Amino acid sequence: MSYPRIVVLFGIATSIVFFAISTMLYSRSSLSDQNSSKLDTVGGHTPGYPILKTTGDILDPTSSVINPKNAVVDPMKYLREFNYGRVSTSSNGTVIRDFTLIASDQQTKEVSPGVFYNVWTYNGTIPGPTIRATEGDLIRVTLINKGTKFHSIHFHGIHPSEMDGVFEGIAPGGRFTYQFTAEPFGVFLYHCHMQPLEEHITHGLYGVYIVDPKQGRPPADEMVMVMNGYDTDFDTENNFYTVNGIPFYYMHHPIQIEKNRLIRIYLVNMLEFDPLNNFHLHANLFNFYKTGTKLIPDEYTDIVTMNQAERGILEFSYKYPGKYMFHAHKTEFAEKGWTGLFLVKDNTTESVNQNLNITSTRNNISYSNSNFNNATNIATTGGFK
Amino acid sequence: MMEREESNIHNTYNISKKTIVFGVVPIIVIGAMIILLLNSPGILFQSSVKPLPQISIEKVEFSDRGIVAFVRNTGPSDTTIAQADVNDRIHPAAIEPSRILTRMADAKVIIPFVWNIGEPYKIGITTDDGTRFEKTVNSAAPAPRPTVQQASTFAIIGTYVGVIPVMMGLIWYPFIRRLSPNKYNFFLSLTAGLLVFLGIDALLESNEIAVNNLASIFNAQILIIMVAIVTLITLMYVSQRLIQRASKRSNPEVEYKAGYLSHSGSDSELSDIRSSSSSSQQQLLIRPIAISMMIAIGIGLHNFGEGLAIGAAVLLGEVALSSFLILGFTLHNTTEGLAIVAPMAKSRRIPVTKLVIMGLIAGGPTIIGAWIGGFLYSPIATVIFLSIGAGAIFQVVYSIGSWMYHTNGSRGLLNNHWIIIGFAFGMLIMYLTGLLV
Repeated sequence: MSYPRIVVLFGIATSIVFFAISTMLYSRSSLSDQNSSKLDTVGGHTPGYPILKTTGDILDPTSSVINPKNAVVDPMKYLREFNYGRVSTSSNGTVIRDFTLIASDQQTKEVSPGVFYNVWTYNGTIPGPTIRATEGDLIRVTLINKGTKFHSIHFHGIHPSEMDGVFEGIAPGGRFTYQFTAEPFGVFLYHCHMQPLEEHITHGLYGVYIVDPKQGRPPADEMVMVMNGYDTDFDTENNFYTVNGIPFYYMHHPIQIEKNRLIRIYLVNMLEFDPLNNFHLHANLFNFYKTGTKLIPDEYTDIVTMNQAERGILEFSYKYPGKYMFHAHKTEFAEKGWTGLFLVKDNTTESVNQNLNITSTRNNISYSNSNFNNATNIATTGGFK
Repeated sequence: MMEREESNIHNTYNISKKTIVFGVVPIIVIGAMIILLLNSPGILFQSSVKPLPQISIEKVEFSDRGIVAFVRNTGPSDTTIAQADVNDRIHPAAIEPSRILTRMADAKVIIPFVWNIGEPYKIGITTDDGTRFEKTVNSAAPAPRPTVQQASTFAIIGTYVGVIPVMMGLIWYPFIRRLSPNKYNFFLSLTAGLLVFLGIDALLESNEIAVNNLASIFNAQILIIMVAIVTLITLMYVSQRLIQRASKRSNPEVEYKAGYLSHSGSDSELSDIRSSSSSSQQQLLIRPIAISMMIAIGIGLHNFGEGLAIGAAVLLGEVALSSFLILGFTLHNTTEGLAIVAPMAKSRRIPVTKLVIMGLIAGGPTIIGAWIGGFLYSPIATVIFLSIGAGAIFQVVYSIGSWMYHTNGSRGLLNNHWIIIGFAFGMLIMYLTGLLV
């Protein structure tokens, strides 16, 4: 009878060994072991959501700031930066505006907090610089291709076939000057038109081109907004959606505007893959000028939906001070970065400039936006270097 | 002459200094190659392509404080985690201990999130190059906390699923004792059929976990086969040793006779043997009991794996344990008790305490498995335990087969239609009761 007993003991012994091994293998700690020494908190943006204290790192694109050295663009600078080119006048009195755009396709930049992506850019940013002229001006844009692939610029608007940037690509190392008259007035876009078209656009080769009517528009605090996305894992679906290049940027850097002042937004949809995108303004309505080609608004609304490459001009002013959201009402895009805030200030006497030194409490990276161009100061000049 | 031969032999097994050199040189060369490769990566193999990151989300837990994803860097190089999302919508999160994961390092991503019970969730992790990795949870359920109440719930489930069914099966012992040889063979092969089903089931289940929950870097599918084979041959060795040691103590002739008689025997013949001598009685008993014990251990390992699976299923929110599911497991496992008693049926009467011990060895691990699976789930450990269970079960099938072969004398195994029918029937029972689970 002693053998069965040995077997019994063997069975018990193996069970004990298995138990010990498995306990060691499963040594993972679970939720309960929060350290009391708190360093940072996360959550709490949404009422009712748990606020978490952690000793680890924070993954929070809605409140974290990208180091400007790596960032694909400074959205606050881009917002009100209009480029009128190097201005000269021809013998017959036509205003000539010279611009230089440098195409590159080898840089890797931070497009969303912590996410680095191979960006293809005009002048190093997504979106590229905003080109602005008055109806009837002669525009000359020199493209220098410092990339490794063929690139071009295809402007929307009226121009001759050979200035369309479709059939003649600029080889790496090459250059070409596009020359055409700015017509008609409205809000347009420019982008690379090399094949594969979708690839060249979604990597970032695009920007806004504005033609002002000869008589001008009423004075306003003007800004440009480009709605775009990034497909960082190349599955033909956008991982991030933004307005002006970096997801959630205007959530932690609200756009400061003045109460009762006319705001004019040149809005362009450069989103790839998704057929539509939209802009919804909180607690307010705006006049919408489709493509900006008329001076009479098409609609008085709080939301505008745009297909790819569609654009328009929004005009509104805020009646009450405070914080107001604007975002894609395609809420998936909103939750992936296409969300921002207007901060409406009551201090009408103070300059907007002085309110824009915003310091991030989390990363202690401060931004100074002193060099943005106030939109009413239309005389600002200067080309791209 | 003899001396020289001896010295020759001696020489062959004696390791001289020269031989040591031949043994060590390859190791030194390989070491040098490794050092060279690691220190000059650019010289030998130049590549401008950065290796793709690989992140495995091994486990997702739900609690009142949010969602916790356990992630591991299973890629070829260090990786930085950039963002986390729930259902492909970006959410602020914390990562502990650090967002930088070295190779094979793991971290805990905690997403403060108000989730809904029973709904499916996709948890996504994006690395610094913008690649997104996703894990789907079919049905969110609060992670079981290691409280006394939860532990006793798992213990009750384990008792229902493991201990009670096995014990119920053991009650068939007196019934099987009174069967004619053909019917007895039928039940033995039925047992083998049950066990083969369980073994295949364990292999398939571990394969499923390996494919769904483990990164390819673990090579888990090969691990399954490896662990199963090693378990099989180790247990074969152990049982051989046990039987050998038992045989040494007794007269081989009696063993043969007993074996023969138990095959052909009626009860009266058996009782003759029983009364003849105490040593032969003992001998008669040893081998069947050893087999039964091996079966109990094998089934215990299997039930441990089953317990892990049940606990993990509760933890992962894959099942809501309904009474119907538990009933299904109970019916399914009742046959396991039958498997334990069948080889012993023609031996001397077994004390009830012995039966109970075997029942506990076979059924008890379900409770332990449910605790571990529910509180401390790890897919790699589950795969290993299920594979051990499979190996143990196949060893038991082998034992039953050889036992039947010996007791059947010259007739062989496949010559007896009762054995074939029993085997097929055993698997069929498991298949049908398995439909309930």
